Amino acid sequence: MNVRKIIVSSLLLSPLAAWANLPVVASFSIMADITREVGGERVSVVSLVGADQDAHVFQPKPADVKKLAEAKVFVVNGLGFEGWINRLNKSANFKGVTVTAGNGIKPLEVAEDEHGHDEHGHDHGRADPHAWHNPQHVLRYVDNIVAGLSRADAAGAAYYRERAAAYKARLQELDSWAGKQFAAVPAARRKVLTSHDAFAYLGQRYAIRFMAPQGVSTDAEASAKSVAQLIRQVKKEQVKAVFIENMSDRRLIDQLAKEAGVKVGGKLYSDALSSQPGARSYLEMFRSNVTALSQSM
Amino acid sequence: MIDFLYQWVLAPFVEFAFMRRALVACLALALGSAPVGLFLVMRRMSLVGDAMSHAVLPGAAVGFLIAGLSLPAMSLGGFVAGVLVAGFAGLATRFTEIKEDASFAAFYLLSLAIGVLLVSSSGSNVDLMHLLFGSVLAVDDAALLLVASVASVTLLTLAVIYRPLLLESLDPVFLRAVGGHGSVWHLLFLLLVVLNLVSGFQALGTLMSVGLMMLPAICSRLWAATVGGMLLAAFLIAALAGMGGLLLSYHVELPSGPCIILLAGLFYIVSLFVAPQGGVLPRLLRQRHLES
Amino acid sequence: MIRLENLTVSYRRHPAVHHVSGSFADGQATAIFGPNGAGKSTLLKAIMGALKPDAGRVLMRGVVRRDMAYLPQQSEIDRSLPVSVIDLVSSGHWQRSGLFGKVGRNDDDASWNALVTVGLEDFATRPIAALSSGQFQRVLFARILVQDAPLILLDEPFNAVDAATTADLLALVERWKTEGRTVIAVLHDEQQVREHFPQTLLMAREVIAWGDTAEVLTADKLRRASDTAAHWSANAPVCRVDGVTP
Repeated sequence: MNVRKIIVSSLLLSPLAAWANLPVVASFSIMADITREVGGERVSVVSLVGADQDAHVFQPKPADVKKLAEAKVFVVNGLGFEGWINRLNKSANFKGVTVTAGNGIKPLEVAEDEHGHDEHGHDHGRADPHAWHNPQHVLRYVDNIVAGLSRADAAGAAYYRERAAAYKARLQELDSWAGKQFAAVPAARRKVLTSHDAFAYLGQRYAIRFMAPQGVSTDAEASAKSVAQLIRQVKKEQVKAVFIENMSDRRLIDQLAKEAGVKVGGKLYSDALSSQPGARSYLEMFRSNVTALSQSM
Repeated sequence: MIDFLYQWVLAPFVEFAFMRRALVACLALALGSAPVGLFLVMRRMSLVGDAMSHAVLPGAAVGFLIAGLSLPAMSLGGFVAGVLVAGFAGLATRFTEIKEDASFAAFYLLSLAIGVLLVSSSGSNVDLMHLLFGSVLAVDDAALLLVASVASVTLLTLAVIYRPLLLESLDPVFLRAVGGHGSVWHLLFLLLVVLNLVSGFQALGTLMSVGLMMLPAICSRLWAATVGGMLLAAFLIAALAGMGGLLLSYHVELPSGPCIILLAGLFYIVSLFVAPQGGVLPRLLRQRHLES
Repeated sequence: MIRLENLTVSYRRHPAVHHVSGSFADGQATAIFGPNGAGKSTLLKAIMGALKPDAGRVLMRGVVRRDMAYLPQQSEIDRSLPVSVIDLVSSGHWQRSGLFGKVGRNDDDASWNALVTVGLEDFATRPIAALSSGQFQRVLFARILVQDAPLILLDEPFNAVDAATTADLLALVERWKTEGRTVIAVLHDEQQVREHFPQTLLMAREVIAWGDTAEVLTADKLRRASDTAAHWSANAPVCRVDGVTP
C-alpha cells in the first residue's frame, strides 16, 4: 500500500496501544511514586495508602481488594512494612507479579528498647522497613521494580530500563547532594531528637544519630524516669535538632524541648508523601527532609 | 534521714520542671475534681466519667472538621458535646421514667456512634481521641492554666450551690415540694462534671482525669462520716496519689498516669480492709459495745 | 383555703382522681379515707402541685407553695448518704433561707427543739443510716415542725411505724390543730380518723362523702365506697361526664 497510509494507520493505532496501560497497584504513596517514575506512560499506578495517609493504621477494605484483583503488578516495600499483606493477597487471590521492592537489601535491625512494643501495627519482627530513606537502597528498589514490570510487560522492558537509568542518575545526584549538606555539619553535632524512628537508614547513610524519646511516642505512655533521662541526655549531648513526628506527642516534645533548651524544628516526612508542596514526590520529600535536618543541626 | 528524703522525694521535683508542672497539675485536678467526684458517688453516677470520655468524640470531630488539628477547637467541641449529652440525659431523667444511669448510657452511646461516623467520613485516619487526650508529663502552660482555672471555677461554684446540691441529692422530692428548682442545681452540677472531665482529658488524659475524680472520692467514703470529712479525705488521697505516682514513675521506669491511678487504687484496696468507716477488719475487730 | 374544682388526675388514661370537687376547711384537720387504690395519695400530690390534673383544677386562696409542708408516703430519701439527723431536720429551713440565706442561731435552735419534741435529741449527730424506720419517721416529722408551715399534708404517715411512735406523732397533730394549722392527712386507720380528725373526705376515686367525720364514716357510706371500688374495670369506655358538679 501507500507508505502514507501505513504511517497514518500506525499513528492512529498507537494510542490504542497506549491505552492498554499496565495496571499496577502500589502499597503506599512512596512506592507508587517510584513505580510511576520507572513505568512512565506504560503503567497506570494506584496506591492503596495515599498521600498524607498513615500506612501504619491501614486496614484493607473491599474496594482495595477489588483494585488488587484487577491489577497485573503489585509493588510492596517488604521488610515487614505491610503487616496486612497476607490478608489482602488471600482475599484478592492476586495472580499477577508481586514486586518486593526491598528484596536484596540487608535491613537494619530495630533496637529492642526503641520499639518496646508494636505500637504501629507493622509486623516489625526485627527488621526496620524504612529503607527508602537511604537513596542507595532506592537504587535497589528501582532494579526490583524494573524486573517486575518487565516480567508482566515484556514489550516494555527496554522502556523501563531507560527510565530507570535516568531516575537512578537523579537518585545518585540526590545522594551526593545530601552528603554534602550533612558534611557541612561537624560529626559531633549530627544528632536529632524525633519520636518516630523511621530514619535509621538515613542516620546510617550520613552518620547522623537519631534519638527517640524512649518509650515516649504515640501510644506508649511515658514514664517520668525516661523523660528525665532524655532531658539529661539532650542537655549533656547538646542536641540541637528536635522534630515532631505527628501531633499526638507534640506537647510532650514541646515540653522536653523547652526544658532541655532546644528549638523544635519543622516537619519531617517519614512514611508518606504529601499533597502539599514539599513532599509531592519521593525526590522532593527527601530533599525537604535533608534541608530541614541539616539546617537545624 | 533528711538526705534520704531529699533524694527520694524532693530531688526529682527540684531538678526537673516537667515534674513540678505535673505535680501542680495533679494538685489542681485533685482540688477541682475530688469534690465533683464525691457528689457523683453520692448520686450513684460513678460511671459517668468513663462514659463522658467517649461522649466527647463527635464534638472533637466537629471541631476538627471545622478548624483542623486545633486543640482549642477540638476541646471546645468536646466540651459542647459533653454538655449536650449530660444535658439531654439530665432532661430525659427529669421528664420521663428513665433513670439517670440508663439515660446517660443511651446518650453517650449515641454520641459515640455519631462521633465515629463523623471521623470515618472525614477520610483522615488521624486518631482524634489521641490528639485530644493529653498526658500528665506533657502538661504545658496552657494546660496548666486550664486545669487551675477549672479547679477555681469548680470550687467557687460548689461553695455557692453546696447546700441545694446536697439537698437535691438527698431528697429531691422535698426540694421540688418547696420550690427549690432542683433541675437548676442538677444541670449546673452536670456542667461542672463535664467541665472538669473535658479539661482533665485535655491536660492529663482520660485515665488520670476520671481516675483522680472517682477513686479518691470512693475511698473517702470509707474514711469519713461527714461530707466535709469526705471532701478533705478525697483531696488528700488524690494529692498523695499524684505525688506518689509521679515519684514511682520517676524512680521505677513506669508510665506516670497509670502509676498515679494505681496508687489510688491500691489505697482503695487497703482502705477496704482497714478504713475505720466501713472497712472489713474494723468490723471484725468487734469492740465492746456501748451501753446505749 | 383550698378548693378542688372537678379535679381529674389520671395515670395512662385511667382516672385515679375522678371529677372531685369540694373544699378543705381552713385551720381544720381533714382526713382522706377510702379503700385501696382510691386515689388518696394522688389527690394529695395534685394539691401539692407534683401532679398535673387532666381536667379541673386546684384553687388555692391565701396559700402559696412556701406555706406547704408535705410528707410523702414512701420517702425517696437516700439513707446511705453521709448526712446527720440534725442536718436533715435543718433542711426544713430551706423554704425561708433559700440559697443565700444564713442559717442562723434561731434556726439552729428551732432544729434542735424539733428533735427534742420528737424525742430524738440523742441522735442529732448520728448519720441517718443509723435510724430505724420509726425513728426516721420521727425525724421527718421534726422537719415538718421546722418548716413551720400553715398547711401540712401527710400521706399515710403511720404506715410502717410502731404504736408508741404513732401515739407520739398523733400528739403532734393535735398540737398543730390547736395552733390553727390546716392538716390534711391520708389515713388507713378508721380509729385514728375518728379520734383525731373532725373532717373527712371519703373517696373511691370519686367523692363518696365529704364533711364532718361522724356523718361521713357511716356504715352505708363506707359500703358504698367499697362497692364503687369493686366495680373498677380495666376495660372502661371513655368517660362522658364532663363539667358536671355534684
